[in-house]
Amino acid sequence: MSPLPSHPSLSLLADGVVFLTLSATLIVADVHLGKSAAFRANGLPIPEGDTARDLARLLEIARKYRASHLVIAGDFFHAPSGITPELVQGLEDFLREIAIPVTLVIGNHDLRIQNLPTALNRVHHLVLEENIHITHDPADTTSADLHLAGHWHPVVKIPDGKRTSLRMPCFLLRENTLVLPAFGSFTGGAIVNPIPNDRIFVALRQHVIELPPSLIS
Amino acid sequence: MPVATLDPFFHTRGWQPFDFQKQTWQAFLAGKSGLLHAPTGQGKTLAVYLGPLAESLDGSPGCQVLWLTPLRALAADTLRALREPLTELAPHLEAETRTGDTPASLRARLRKKLPHTLVTTPESLSLMLTHPDFQEKINGLRCVIVDEWHELLGSKRGVQTELCLARLRAWLPNLRTWGLSATLGNLTEARHSLLGKAFANSVEISADMHKPLIIETLIPKEIERFPWSGHLGTRLASQVADEIEKAKVTLLFTNTRSQTEIWFQELCTIRPKWKNQLAMHHGSMDRAERDLAENGLRDGILKCVVATSSLDLGVDFSPVDQVIQIGSPKGIARLLQRAGRSGHQPGSISRILGVPTHALELVEFAAARDAATNRNIESRTPLKKPIDLLAQHLITCAIGQPFDPDEMRREIESSHSFHDLTDHEWHWALGFISNGGTALAAYPRYHKARLENGHYTVNDKRLITQHRLSIGTISSDPSVSIKFINGHTLGTVDESFISKIKPGASLIFAGKQLTLIRFHQRIATVKPATRALKGQVAIWGGSKMPLSSELAHAMARQLQGYGKPTPEMTAVAPILAIQKKWSRLPADDSLLIEHTHSREGEHLFFYPFAGRLVHEGLATLVAFRISREIGESIHTTQNDYGFSLTAKRGLNLDETILRRYLSSIDPLDDLIACINTAELSRRQFREIARVSGLILQSPPGQKNRSQRELQSSASLLFEVLNRYDPDNLLLIQSRREILEKQLELTRMTAVIERLESMPIHLIETKNLTPLAFPLWAERLSATLPAGDAASRLESMLRTLNVAADSTRQS
Repeated sequence: MSPLPSHPSLSLLADGVVFLTLSATLIVADVHLGKSAAFRANGLPIPEGDTARDLARLLEIARKYRASHLVIAGDFFHAPSGITPELVQGLEDFLREIAIPVTLVIGNHDLRIQNLPTALNRVHHLVLEENIHITHDPADTTSADLHLAGHWHPVVKIPDGKRTSLRMPCFLLRENTLVLPAFGSFTGGAIVNPIPNDRIFVALRQHVIELPPSLIS
Repeated sequence: MPVATLDPFFHTRGWQPFDFQKQTWQAFLAGKSGLLHAPTGQGKTLAVYLGPLAESLDGSPGCQVLWLTPLRALAADTLRALREPLTELAPHLEAETRTGDTPASLRARLRKKLPHTLVTTPESLSLMLTHPDFQEKINGLRCVIVDEWHELLGSKRGVQTELCLARLRAWLPNLRTWGLSATLGNLTEARHSLLGKAFANSVEISADMHKPLIIETLIPKEIERFPWSGHLGTRLASQVADEIEKAKVTLLFTNTRSQTEIWFQELCTIRPKWKNQLAMHHGSMDRAERDLAENGLRDGILKCVVATSSLDLGVDFSPVDQVIQIGSPKGIARLLQRAGRSGHQPGSISRILGVPTHALELVEFAAARDAATNRNIESRTPLKKPIDLLAQHLITCAIGQPFDPDEMRREIESSHSFHDLTDHEWHWALGFISNGGTALAAYPRYHKARLENGHYTVNDKRLITQHRLSIGTISSDPSVSIKFINGHTLGTVDESFISKIKPGASLIFAGKQLTLIRFHQRIATVKPATRALKGQVAIWGGSKMPLSSELAHAMARQLQGYGKPTPEMTAVAPILAIQKKWSRLPADDSLLIEHTHSREGEHLFFYPFAGRLVHEGLATLVAFRISREIGESIHTTQNDYGFSLTAKRGLNLDETILRRYLSSIDPLDDLIACINTAELSRRQFREIARVSGLILQSPPGQKNRSQRELQSSASLLFEVLNRYDPDNLLLIQSRREILEKQLELTRMTAVIERLESMPIHLIETKNLTPLAFPLWAERLSATLPAGDAASRLESMLRTLNVAADSTRQS
């Protein structure tokens, strides 16, 4: 479904990614590859598993939707200390297997990462069809018709009226900016404080639904 | 006989040593360790301290006595008490404190040379174990004294103390350990826990000279017809104010921080003239604010301090001559401890006045007095094998000195908590601190302790600094500081409370009427309210303490009319008469169940008198079992006396069926099935992740930029571990801790077994009985979330009746 009549080709997928059907562009944000490795390198005993799993999920989604272009809306990587030879190898395999152009819109966590495969195309600000702009930080407002961003790791808190609440990663549409949930499996989230006219979308099993405003307020 | 050297100290004061003091000195001089239990204010400090002092008059150098106190705030008072005999008997010897509050200059001096007597906390002792020269510095140590051992026992800090003591004993086999404890139901176990393998050569000494204790209750002039729980009962405030008027200095205890705020406001309103003689004290107030209250009490310039358990401990407030307890005492030991805050001198009388906030609390006070007289006091069960703490302690030791794993295992097993450590647990812990897991499942590129020449050692400076910052087991919830514009800090509140208050609105905190200016980045900036507004009283989360089993049994005895008539029971008699007429009185040897109808449907009320947490578990369990069969959703509530089930229909059950629902067949499986234990363990995991070093502590005041990349939430770590390392012992520990902490599983299992052997009285009542009414009225029952996120969201959407097609498909 597209939440925006102005952009009928845009759809939100339950995997927490955006797909533009017109150009078959797949957009994800905040993968944070190598996060657990960065923790371990600093003496925190966290098991490995996230990096390979996240790349595999990404590959699977790209194939399922026959994407012809993959865009990472920033924070593909977590920290320099997490860039292990295994990660670099896994990334090269991933780029070869996915076999479509991959663009990284550089995020704050990517700034200090060096020596990345040349196949990874890097920009600070990307403009796509229908005047859709992509930057990592939602605060980098653009004159776009639609601005896609990450960085916030949005999570919605839904009180259930029984003194408990539900937390779910979400898409947040605020004015012309659509903030994507974090894709990485070892990423936390920040609870969204909704302001009037915010629209919030969450994955419910295989679909993405818009939350009725009465559930969040 | 060195004891004779102590005589002058007593003579100049015209004192005679008590028998228990002489006994303790002699046992100490005979090389024994032990546990001394006594009410506060009985000269027990002199009992345990003068033995080692007498012995060290022989002129041996170095640190000879280590005094462990559970509270930093007590250290200064303790030091004062110890210096008194020290300056008189051995003016050349020094005593100092070393806690988190110690100024850097003194800490640096102590790093070079330790005094004869060092007063410290378990956390600071752990920290000192990370210094390579610590062993050498204390090689003349004679004795470790652990003050208020009952406070540490039963907590992770207690286990931390056990492990530190095991380390010291491994270095100094002749080291003597003496514990001081209030009276407990399990003193032998407490001594075992303190001494571990050193238990064999130890004694228990009682200083219980039956200090006179008076427990009275403020009888309300008018007994409401029904005992309504849930209102805060300030309606007795003017009677309470009269009592405060009569005494010199009163300590007024409440059960929660919010109640402290409420009572403080109430007393200020009733007696405006006390404005400068009233103070309050609770754990969320800033240290400086609390110091004002403590100093005011000590100096006798205050008339009354309203406090929570933050004032339960130690500190000697001699001027206090009356203690008032608002609301349920919850336990007998707790009531005795609080009562002991008054008459804090040998020979004087401790008085406590109970103020009921609903009618059945009258029975609680009568029961507590009865149980206290019969010495029927609660136990504190020591914790078994917390793996998170073991991991922390092993790193602590490895930083101090490389250790041999076999020697270390013997040392760890000499503690009571870890005496039955299994091979699996031990190897897992070694793996966790070195390569992240067992050899086969090592975590790539993770190292903390390294195995070098058969010894585990930590030599990365950054990791050492990091570890020193995270020593300890107290994990505070993220909270918001309340500050004035000029930066003066008042204390902390929960984020959930402050985020509901709009800038410009007022709130009441630390006894002050405040207006919120802004709330930004964990700081709420406030200013004094300009006019007296009805501000919202600060509320803190946290579970309510359950009634103890001992007090519950004592209550059942009172209800059955055992014992002498008391003013409390006389006052509550009209209500009990109604209960008896409409149903019957609950008893200790049978289970009362009431069934009734109302507009909402059918209700079942059960009265096992087993405390709130157990009732919560039982209610969930029975509701789960019934709803599985009748297919109705069941609403539950609970209090300290019982629990209720409400459903539209289907609760008219006979005794045989009810018995089946209450049976003990696999209660654990059913409990895990009906309670979202995964969700709860996730919450419990925070503390475990903190203690075991999975979450970094930022140094106070400075946020290290590079560390930001290493921050993660405990719940995220919980998920990652569950996914990639499900056998991680820390996960298992969190499950166990949550069942114990949230539902008191051990107690609940015992209660279920007890209920099975009891006759059931199932009574059909026409109306809600006095016991049922508060359960019916308990609207604030928390429901534990069940099911995964998707089904919960679906159910919410269904409730909202916003059925978009896509949401209905499952």
